[in-house]
Amino acid sequence: MKITVKLIGPLIYEAGFSEKAITLPGSVTAGALVARIKIDKKRPTIITRNGASVELSDILEDGDRVVISHIYSGG
Amino acid sequence: MNGWTGNILRVNLTAKTYKKETFSEEFARTWIGGRGFAVKILYDELQPGIDPLGPENKLIVALGPIAGIPAPNTGKAVVAAKSPLTGFYGDGNLGTRVSEQLRKAGYDAMIVEGKAEGPTMLYIEDDKVEFLPAGEVWGKGTYATNDWIYAKYGKGVGVLNIGQGGENMVRYAVVRSLEGRSGGRPGMGAVMGSKLLKALVVKGTRPIPQADPQAMKALGFGDLKTVGQIDKETGWSIQGTDAILAWCNEVAGLPVRNFRKTRHADAWKIDGERVNAARVATYGCPNCTMRCGITIHDREGRESELDYENVGLLGSNLEIFDLDQVGSLNYLCDEYGIDTMSAGCALSFYADAIDHGATKGDFKFGDAERAKELLGLAARREGKLGNLLADGSLRMAREFGHGSEAYAMQVKGLDVAAYNCKFIPGQALAFGVAAIGAHHREAWIITFELKNTTRDSYGPEKAAKVIELQRIRGGMFEFLVACRFPWIELGWPLDNYPKYFNAATGLNWTLEDMWKVADRIYALIKLHYLREFPQASRKDDYPPAVWFDKSNVDTEGPIAGKCLDLGKYDRLLQHYYDQRGYDERGIPTKELLNKLGLSKEAAAAEKCAKLSERTSQPQAAR
Ligand code: SF4
Repeated sequence: MKITVKLIGPLIYEAGFSEKAITLPGSVTAGALVARIKIDKKRPTIITRNGASVELSDILEDGDRVVISHIYSGG
Repeated sequence: MNGWTGNILRVNLTAKTYKKETFSEEFARTWIGGRGFAVKILYDELQPGIDPLGPENKLIVALGPIAGIPAPNTGKAVVAAKSPLTGFYGDGNLGTRVSEQLRKAGYDAMIVEGKAEGPTMLYIEDDKVEFLPAGEVWGKGTYATNDWIYAKYGKGVGVLNIGQGGENMVRYAVVRSLEGRSGGRPGMGAVMGSKLLKALVVKGTRPIPQADPQAMKALGFGDLKTVGQIDKETGWSIQGTDAILAWCNEVAGLPVRNFRKTRHADAWKIDGERVNAARVATYGCPNCTMRCGITIHDREGRESELDYENVGLLGSNLEIFDLDQVGSLNYLCDEYGIDTMSAGCALSFYADAIDHGATKGDFKFGDAERAKELLGLAARREGKLGNLLADGSLRMAREFGHGSEAYAMQVKGLDVAAYNCKFIPGQALAFGVAAIGAHHREAWIITFELKNTTRDSYGPEKAAKVIELQRIRGGMFEFLVACRFPWIELGWPLDNYPKYFNAATGLNWTLEDMWKVADRIYALIKLHYLREFPQASRKDDYPPAVWFDKSNVDTEGPIAGKCLDLGKYDRLLQHYYDQRGYDERGIPTKELLNKLGLSKEAAAAEKCAKLSERTSQPQAAR
């Protein structure tokens, strides 16, 4: 299945990309997807799928757009 | 009295007099400084009903016990007055060397009264105050004015000044300082202009009083380094606040087309990546190692400093997706000294009102060149249109009629910051109950709402979060006075702040003690409101009606078909009142006011409107 990953803010420079499509075999959790991306896992993040927050244990679906962001506090 | 100079400078522009007044230890401990001092002074000294643009209004510049000391992000000052935009207490904070210089000159605050005979610049150096002519720069923008001042006094002085917007009393004119940014969204610059006060320059040569200067020095320099290090490690300031634009677009929280839409396919053209890539220079306020200001070259080749709110409200909300054009609009607002957010909302409202047939005009979403002209008309109050725009979105809506007030994006007259709450109830509440109108500074809970709750819930936990953040952001940071970013953006621990406060004052306070002061300040701002608007009702704490409008829902994306529910919002509002100990109108009860030590203030408010004895709900533990 194909998932689009979009990173926000400083994560872009840490992981070395801003947005890319990733092809994954079979069903994968949000946590497994995050594990494949080169970002500091201790950093507090908010992960959304198609605009709504997801848990790391949630199973992703083909065509999902996953956005990983540092937790912002609205300036 | 350690931690405070114990002095307030009172200047009267009409009489060209000044005096140093002392304040008591009790006053200091009750109100701490910054917003606390400002709200108390203005409550005691202003008669309700005065003209905010008349000589009887007073401008306050207020600092707190950690303002100006070399410690993380302490280079901020609060400016306050009765607001010409909202009609009650208004304030703002801005990065400026005035913070350090005014304290070194021997004052924790200053009160500016009356009205000068002609354009004036105040020069303050320790005990000396000079009333100097400023006719040479009257009519000039804030950059030229600042340069003129630096040429006279060098760059070490603290400066507050206004541009044409303040001079012409644009209701959302701000106070500017090139050492930081702008502050006083509810028209503090217009109040300066109404007094013919073009600028205020401060130089101080004395030490700032602290209980333990050695401990403070050791703490401060170490922490400045630590905060800079965390910023570097996390990469926060690479995009600074601009990073949030892309995220808001993903989660359907971006203002687009006067908040009618929540996302746009072209948003990436003005996002944090593009801002960082276009970076010309980096700016910061005094005593800051995070330095969040990113400048880019605008369409005309000038340096323009962008942050998220500016890009959101002068860019996506006007459907302008050329970054250099957004830079130009931002530059003009800064040059004229007008609030980028309210200016953006006035323009987007105007375009929307034309679209919806509420008025006739030649401005369309996406038209950057016309937007530049309109900003000029507003700043100069040129013609009928310039005057309308200068009065802000709410007054324009009242003039246009045809139900357009529903989409004037404001609360209590202050325009909404760049978060589209069409389907984010907790943040809509945060805007609804923000002390001075829809300011994002007081509470921002969107990531909390999305991550820890369900987006369409209206439960008491959202009200509790708003109160928690109001105490920290609208309370503690505003009375100490310091920038909240080390904590909110880098997670630098909050308990550092009592540590600094205690090293400055020799007291032994905890965060809990801070929250009591914060609650007192929030309650007194509500009394200001009640005195000015005796008919105050809970409806005044509702966000813009368009967010409840089912005909305005998104047709695609994460919140397709959804909007806020009025009945549920009203219950969420009641949770907030219950937890705060406010009555059904959203006004603190006498029981609460007595508990907060505000019985005298309550008696003064009762001359204008009746207060409730107590709520029927049990008060939350405080
Ligand atoms: S983080 Fe930004 S707003 Fe805060 S003090 Fe630093 S430069 Fe100023």
